[in-house]
Amino acid sequence: MTNKIIHWIDQRFPLSSFVKHDLTEYPTPRNLSYWWNFGFLAGFVLVLQVATGVFLAMHYKADVSLSFDSIQHIMRDVNYGWLLRFMHATGASAFFLVIYIHMARTLYYGSYRAPRELMWWTGQGLLLMLMATAFMGYLLPWGQMSFWGATVITNLFKATPFYGEEVVSWLRGGFAVGDPTLTRFFSLHYLLPFLILGGVVVHLIALHTVKSSNPSGIDLAAKDNIPFHPYFTSKDFYGLGIFLIVYCLFVFFFPNSLMEPANNIPANPLQTPLDIVPEWYFLPFYAILRSVPDLVGGVVAMGLSVMVFSFMPYLDRSRIPGGAHYRPWYRMMFYLFMADMLVLGYVGHNPPGGNMLLIGRIATFFYFALFVLLPFLSKKEERWLIQKGLPPELKELMASDAKEKSEMHHRRNGDNK
Amino acid sequence: MKNLIITLVLCFTAAQAWAEEATLEHIKVDTDLPAIARGVDDLMGNCHSCHNLKYVTYLDLEKLGIDRQKIDGWRGDQPINSPLTSLMSDEAAMQSFNLVPPDLSLMTKAREGGADYVYSYLLGYYSTPDGVVKNHIFPGTKMPDPLGMSTTTDHAQREQIRATAHDIVSFLYWAADPHEQERYRLGYYVIGYLLILTLLLYFVKKQIWSRLK
Repeated sequence: MTNKIIHWIDQRFPLSSFVKHDLTEYPTPRNLSYWWNFGFLAGFVLVLQVATGVFLAMHYKADVSLSFDSIQHIMRDVNYGWLLRFMHATGASAFFLVIYIHMARTLYYGSYRAPRELMWWTGQGLLLMLMATAFMGYLLPWGQMSFWGATVITNLFKATPFYGEEVVSWLRGGFAVGDPTLTRFFSLHYLLPFLILGGVVVHLIALHTVKSSNPSGIDLAAKDNIPFHPYFTSKDFYGLGIFLIVYCLFVFFFPNSLMEPANNIPANPLQTPLDIVPEWYFLPFYAILRSVPDLVGGVVAMGLSVMVFSFMPYLDRSRIPGGAHYRPWYRMMFYLFMADMLVLGYVGHNPPGGNMLLIGRIATFFYFALFVLLPFLSKKEERWLIQKGLPPELKELMASDAKEKSEMHHRRNGDNK
Repeated sequence: MKNLIITLVLCFTAAQAWAEEATLEHIKVDTDLPAIARGVDDLMGNCHSCHNLKYVTYLDLEKLGIDRQKIDGWRGDQPINSPLTSLMSDEAAMQSFNLVPPDLSLMTKAREGGADYVYSYLLGYYSTPDGVVKNHIFPGTKMPDPLGMSTTTDHAQREQIRATAHDIVSFLYWAADPHEQERYRLGYYVIGYLLILTLLLYFVKKQIWSRLK
């Protein structure tokens, strides 16, 4: 009976071949480490955010006079409303954590290199949409930090040439952040996750075209690939279990540790909080914004600090495979970059002034310096490594890669004729 | 004029610095019913005449297990599901204090330091040698010393005030997050379940991967 139904569907829709091509027979490098779990986890958190968000929206009211109260209604009166809300709020942090690790893995192993540039760029687009969604969602509780955070960030659009003031009012729907801002942010906060879902589909189609990268940095021979299911489904689900333990510890035991106390005070346009701090996942970029004394300069620097990742496929000119593994200089730069991010995050968390400002400026300079130096250092490193003599296992990898590529080239040319 | 402004600015910044230097006293909040019941009693007597708790209703208190007779005494002829709004109108508050006293429903979550802050603030009142009442934790406060910490010198009485503050903060802590204990109880089950599930998933993964040579 089941076979008959599947057969009936298959004649009308490529169900079996899809499952075969993209799941049961989808070839995956067997040497993927647990760092390759985070893409799946990001997908899981996205679904979790949409699911909890849909139910929260049933009880939430987007109106400046009601939204703060409606959050308390969810927290106190709605059955397990507190659970939905804490899952959603913690989920935002979890999303960024998982995405940042996913990106760090890509940077470490050089997974952004040809032929995976489009994966990296669609990922960059997804990151921007995620940031926009998180930023707009943060306004919805209509607390002090919601209001002032949105005021500060929309104010940045004053940097727009000629039409700065107009663009800011256009974004806010008024001269200040108010009811029109809240309702449009709510509408867009509900829309964007579905655009992200669409973007994820594109990201996955690109992935299934170029296949996963792997720690060795080269495309493996067919014998080193194993089907995604059951090997990576089992591995991903085990990773998911670990993730859920950490996530649930926060949801059930420390949900308030990720929330700013000031956001438990209703928004008050007449009273600015002592210092306005964004959520932890924006802190490094916020520190870069504040390090530049000029508004336009700060906005450009912040925008560039997020977008600069896109240039990685061109900035990294080394052909040595294996990402940072076989590349001591690049590895050093990677860890310096991570440390710099932490310093920037720390600076972004603290009120500006005195030493903090100086440290922030040095860290900002360092941030961009690493990207600017990369094209030269990566080329120099490559020459140095070849001169020094590559390790035999790396030579073997590169030789088998070259052989595979030339064979593929022949096969493709043969097809064309 | 210029000198006056500078002096004022200096005073202001000095007060700020002082506020940051004042260290908070740590409080281990009571989560059992008797302490919360004593706390709400003290709160109704000392705080509720000026402060609202608009997210807490008399019905919530009854569900928690507070004595019904006491609740009926507090609410008077208001329906049981009305919030704990104070008797003082916003206009009257503006006249007396030039501001509306903040709602207390979320107070232990709405300040840096949480329950420690509220506890230290309540006990932070003192009298200067000139007889002016001030507060270590919030120098700019307009609230008159509610528990009488600044005028009490007797040790036993001071201890009594500390106990009252402790109970009030325990109640406020409950009011800010009434589902907290339920959340912890559920959390232990969830984490326990996930630990077992993850262990099983680990063995599944190991089993499946052992097929590979």
